[in-house]
Amino acid sequence: MRWLLSLLLLTLFGAVQAISSAGQRLLVVLEEHSEKEKYSVFLGDLESRGYHVTVDSPKSESLSLFKHGERAYDHVILLPGKSKGLGPALTANALLDFMKKEGNILVALSSEHPTPTSVHTVLLELDIHIPSDKGALVVDHFNYDSNSAAEKHDVLLLPFPKQLRPDVKNYFAGEGVIAVPRAVGQTLGNESPLLAPILRAPSTAYSYSPKDEAEIVEEPFAVGGQLTLVSSMQAHNSARLTVVGSAEMLQNAWFAEKATLNGKAVKTANRDFIAKVTAWTFKETGVLKIGKLIHYLNEGISKKMNTSLTVPENNPKIYRIKNDVAFQVEISEYADSHLIPFVPASQDALQLEFSMLSPFHRLNLTPLSQTTNSTIFGVSFTTPDQHGIFNFRINYRRPFLTNIDEKRQVTVRHFAHNEWPRSWQISGAWVWIGGIWVTVAGWIAFVAVWLWSAPTEKSVKKTQ
Amino acid sequence: MRLLRSLISSLLVSGICIVSAASSWSFEDATLTVQSKGAGVGAGSKEKLSPSVPLPKPVSLGATDTLKLLLTTVDGKKAKRPHQAFLTLTDPTTSLEESFVLNVKESGKGKLDLTHKDLPIQFLTSSKPISASIVIGSFGSSSPYKSKVFDLNVSRDPNVPIVIPEKPVRYAAEKEIHHIFRADPRSPPRIITLVFAAGVVAALPVLLGVWATLGANVNHLSKALSSAPVSHALFFGSILAMEGIFFLYYTSWNLFQALPAATVVGSVAFLSGSRALSEVQERRLAGLR
Repeated sequence: MRWLLSLLLLTLFGAVQAISSAGQRLLVVLEEHSEKEKYSVFLGDLESRGYHVTVDSPKSESLSLFKHGERAYDHVILLPGKSKGLGPALTANALLDFMKKEGNILVALSSEHPTPTSVHTVLLELDIHIPSDKGALVVDHFNYDSNSAAEKHDVLLLPFPKQLRPDVKNYFAGEGVIAVPRAVGQTLGNESPLLAPILRAPSTAYSYSPKDEAEIVEEPFAVGGQLTLVSSMQAHNSARLTVVGSAEMLQNAWFAEKATLNGKAVKTANRDFIAKVTAWTFKETGVLKIGKLIHYLNEGISKKMNTSLTVPENNPKIYRIKNDVAFQVEISEYADSHLIPFVPASQDALQLEFSMLSPFHRLNLTPLSQTTNSTIFGVSFTTPDQHGIFNFRINYRRPFLTNIDEKRQVTVRHFAHNEWPRSWQISGAWVWIGGIWVTVAGWIAFVAVWLWSAPTEKSVKKTQ
Repeated sequence: MRLLRSLISSLLVSGICIVSAASSWSFEDATLTVQSKGAGVGAGSKEKLSPSVPLPKPVSLGATDTLKLLLTTVDGKKAKRPHQAFLTLTDPTTSLEESFVLNVKESGKGKLDLTHKDLPIQFLTSSKPISASIVIGSFGSSSPYKSKVFDLNVSRDPNVPIVIPEKPVRYAAEKEIHHIFRADPRSPPRIITLVFAAGVVAALPVLLGVWATLGANVNHLSKALSSAPVSHALFFGSILAMEGIFFLYYTSWNLFQALPAATVVGSVAFLSGSRALSEVQERRLAGLR
């Protein structure tokens, strides 16, 4: 009966966790309720993916990101409005606290609306910079939609983003063109490894302020690939923040619109792209889960990992120096609704560190096998000739993937006195061993002579 | 009817003509001067740039040189000021880009000065020539211009050290570390060991031989055994047994096995030894030693 109940609970739990790995409660902050229609397809898509969408105005009295000190929502979308202030519930501190509690935020900017002060402060805090002039927008005279922006060139038509680096998985690939109308361009600080561009501006694009630079652009905010149109930040606790430069990208009007790029008729694929961006931001994709870490003394027999949660890891607590040790770890990736085996990007490697303060070994793990939900990575190595308290540590941080930092502590002892080779096995010691036994034999002979020696003729004569 | 149709077609043709006549941006009268510091006006190399063909040879820019680019932007045939007039430098290996804005007047006359100070560090340390292209574009229907015009060879003074900022942290796979083990203890060549071991073992026969020549013997064994058989046998036996205990302790026993045995054997040696040595003393007193 009990197993039936637990199974029922499990399936219920599974159903609740069907989509985002980080919860379903989504708050959409929208100032004008009348504008909700513009975003109806976007919000409908989110609802169909299992989110419980609450649309609220920043002016609403009851709006709060927290309830009883815990998050009231799992994810927040900030859509631009007319006012510059977002009210007491959405201060920069509240937004950062929300992220500290692992809440995810999607911020949409618009060149037609002022960026709220609190959003500006949060972005600055995270080293994401946006132009300070109101109305600054991105134009490109090479890749614009000649249907809707024949004169102003401020509706960019771009292909889906490519892989950021050869060792980073691309969660935003797709077919078609993305329309980016009247975007607020961002630049990302160079120092922070937490920032990653999702959609970069093409090399000929630039951001300018229509008020001050109507005639010619003299000091553009940023140019070309340094300008990002959609950028992302993933904190150390894996909370995610995405900045979408153009809120119009989320609107029905651009979800599947006919456009013309350099004389060719194209259809915008914003719906697909935005689905991918929100899926990443709200942790439907790019979420890693570490399973068991097992290690054992490698005696030539490779053990098969039992991935069942009912079997404990049961790892040894102690090894000796220069022991051969095998290590295995189970890693899954959450994709859309379930866990799948994790496969790193082609030029990437999952690494094991065997460390005491600093790593003594840092080894690439190779995939050994796959289960339905996970890949088992493994490596074998020899413990270093240094005794102490060591850690098996997996510290896997990559752009667009949640952080993994997991370790298991073991003691590495030195040789016990009876584990060294015996002296006769060391050829250099034979001279000394020989010396000892020659002395022993000489002593016994001496005792015999001392006890039983008879005086000889000669010696008798001598003594007389 | 036919008239109408021809009218429409002619209208269409003229419409197409208008579309195709939509002008395109370009530039004229472009000169590129590299002037070194201290040299007079007009000195230094001067090249004419063409909007369609890039310069065949790369332009060299030294540490103290100034690169001056002068051009007139044109929309079709007419000189006009565009909204965007950039000189874009691209590193061919890393595809890093940096754009420099040309200062363009109302008349379309544009100017740009470039020195080492303006260039990012990656361009200064680049081994390959950097490709420079001009981008001209503006609002409206005129088609924009972008084309490579020359290669820039940044030559650096090797005597002046350059401060390369540390690479910012990026999350990626790090270099593998394999622990370097201390070398195993080594023994000398076996042949040397054997020679010396043989030397040590050979010392025993030499010792016995020397004793023999000095007259050492065991002729009183029977005498000793007949006068004090038990104590002599036990004493010599206990000395042998003690060495046996040492041997066993060396090979397999631990201290707790060896100590009781040594106590037993030691007390036997003590008791029997005093008797045996008394017998030896008797022989000495009898003048038999």
